[in-house]
Amino acid sequence: MRNPWAQTGNYRTSYAQDTTIFFNYREILSVGLLLVALCLLPLFLERSQVLVLNFILIYAIAVLGLNITTGYAGLISVGQAAFMGVGAYTVALSAPSLPFWLTIPLGGLVAALAGFLVGIPSLRVKHLYLALATLAFQEIFVWVVGRSPALAQGSAIPVEMRNFLGLEITFRNHNYFWYYVILFVLVVLVVAWRNLLRGKYGRALIAVRDNDRAADAMGMDPGRTKLFAFALGAFYGGVAGGLLAYMQRAVVVEEFTLVRSVALLAMAIVGGLGTVVGSILGPAFIEFLRLGVERLSEWMKANPFIQSITPAGVDVASALLPLSFGLVIVLFLMFEPRGLYNWWRLVRSYFRNWPFRY
Amino acid sequence: MQLQVDKVTLSFGGVQALSQVSLEVDKGELVSVIGPNGAGKTSLLNCISGFYHPSSGRITFEGHDLTHAPPHLVTRYGIARAFQNIELFTGMTVLENLLMARHTFGHYSLWDNLWFYGRALRVSVENRRICEEIIDFMELEPYRKALVGDLPYGVRKRVEVARALALSPKLLLLDEPMAGMTLEEKEDMVRFILDIRAERGTTIVLIEHDLGVVMDISDRVYVLDFGQVIASGLPEEVSRNPRVQEAYVGVEHGA
Repeated sequence: MRNPWAQTGNYRTSYAQDTTIFFNYREILSVGLLLVALCLLPLFLERSQVLVLNFILIYAIAVLGLNITTGYAGLISVGQAAFMGVGAYTVALSAPSLPFWLTIPLGGLVAALAGFLVGIPSLRVKHLYLALATLAFQEIFVWVVGRSPALAQGSAIPVEMRNFLGLEITFRNHNYFWYYVILFVLVVLVVAWRNLLRGKYGRALIAVRDNDRAADAMGMDPGRTKLFAFALGAFYGGVAGGLLAYMQRAVVVEEFTLVRSVALLAMAIVGGLGTVVGSILGPAFIEFLRLGVERLSEWMKANPFIQSITPAGVDVASALLPLSFGLVIVLFLMFEPRGLYNWWRLVRSYFRNWPFRY
Repeated sequence: MQLQVDKVTLSFGGVQALSQVSLEVDKGELVSVIGPNGAGKTSLLNCISGFYHPSSGRITFEGHDLTHAPPHLVTRYGIARAFQNIELFTGMTVLENLLMARHTFGHYSLWDNLWFYGRALRVSVENRRICEEIIDFMELEPYRKALVGDLPYGVRKRVEVARALALSPKLLLLDEPMAGMTLEEKEDMVRFILDIRAERGTTIVLIEHDLGVVMDISDRVYVLDFGQVIASGLPEEVSRNPRVQEAYVGVEHGA
């Protein structure tokens, strides 16, 4: 009699079963427990700590989108932050008149439209040239926002949300409230992301990445598939941007610059391209790295010895952050190109058949 | 006539790859195209499957004009192709490669795909069943979940044909399915081709260099040389044709 809790082989007996994501009951249980833990987590955390979590989860959503465009479809995009920006500004403009559960999807849709338009060059150019096209969009976005009076020329536009179904959202519970909203959105988008691959729409993305000639012969329109990849990836970015706007109670263009786009790409690489786990581990790693580096630079500023050996007028601390990002990306590409996901995979495969070795 | 190629000309700069090539294939026929290297056989197949578009002439399939249709549209009309230099998705398993070919039969929306319950699941299971039938048919069971990149050449060729079959085609274009195979693999492949025709009634256009195979299994043979059809007809007629013999073995000068 097979034991679905400790499965030592593949016991799937129908085609429907073979499309399932989870291997055995233990995996379903552990994901369930993880969700419960994530729901309970804020009860034990302070407001500022929840804020860090919120940032991680928002970036996780944006990285999931990037993992569709870059991870699945292989189209390098350095414009994900701009797509976040499109979503955020859509939310900022529509928040006064619409409830948040409409503005956030709307932000996603407007970003998807932008993604579709940016994807059009992908019909003709490939690889680095395409990356340059997305870079151009990123720069144009910042430039346009910086010169639009309607968008406050890039300076802060307040996004207010004071009340939700009678629940008053104050300074005190703001972070907690948005934590649950973000968590909910993330779970929905992760399910959709994971299901994408089980069906033809996700498979088409991979087919076009691996061999667009063969994909064409399989009846997939490579052009449409690439546009779809951009639009869907941008949708995720737009939703993340919308959530960010609410969470920060304001939209500023500095949040959506090239640096952020590159940071998102770094998160995707560090986490492991094309994986759900990587899309969450990557942002977490980079955010904690950022916090660590900020603490280190504060210590350096206060340390008289370090101050004495640095030349006057040079701020070592501010150079430390980009330096450490760069170092981390290079180290990961050299030693663990499959990212943190690979470590996770090794750990999991050990425990999958536990207490058996294999 | 199911497939009609009418006076197709294809040129790359100054080189005429095909000139005034006409070819007709009836439903259920097995037609071979032979010719020396560089005769334009693969170019002709590329024109039919939409990878090249002829500079003049017309290609029709069951009333659809294929002359300027892109490959994915040609596939939707019911034409499948196995490539000469294997164009499989090497990072995926045999099964996943076959499932790719069921793309146009995945009748569900993006929403169904993202939710993946009910319709999408039902259609996917049905497509999986069809792929499994083809895996059975092509005797690929041992490799079902093996990565294509890890498989030996002969098996990959078989996967290539299997993937084309998974498109449930009315017309199958096979571009040298036996090239570089051992004798035993070749015999298997010939058996598969004959079975495909017998069991599925698929029309087949075959490009092959092994004249023994071609003359044995073809209903009709077209011979291309320097982009022109120099002979066509029943295999025995073609093999007796002096122009064909000239193209293949050369002519004795000064005799």
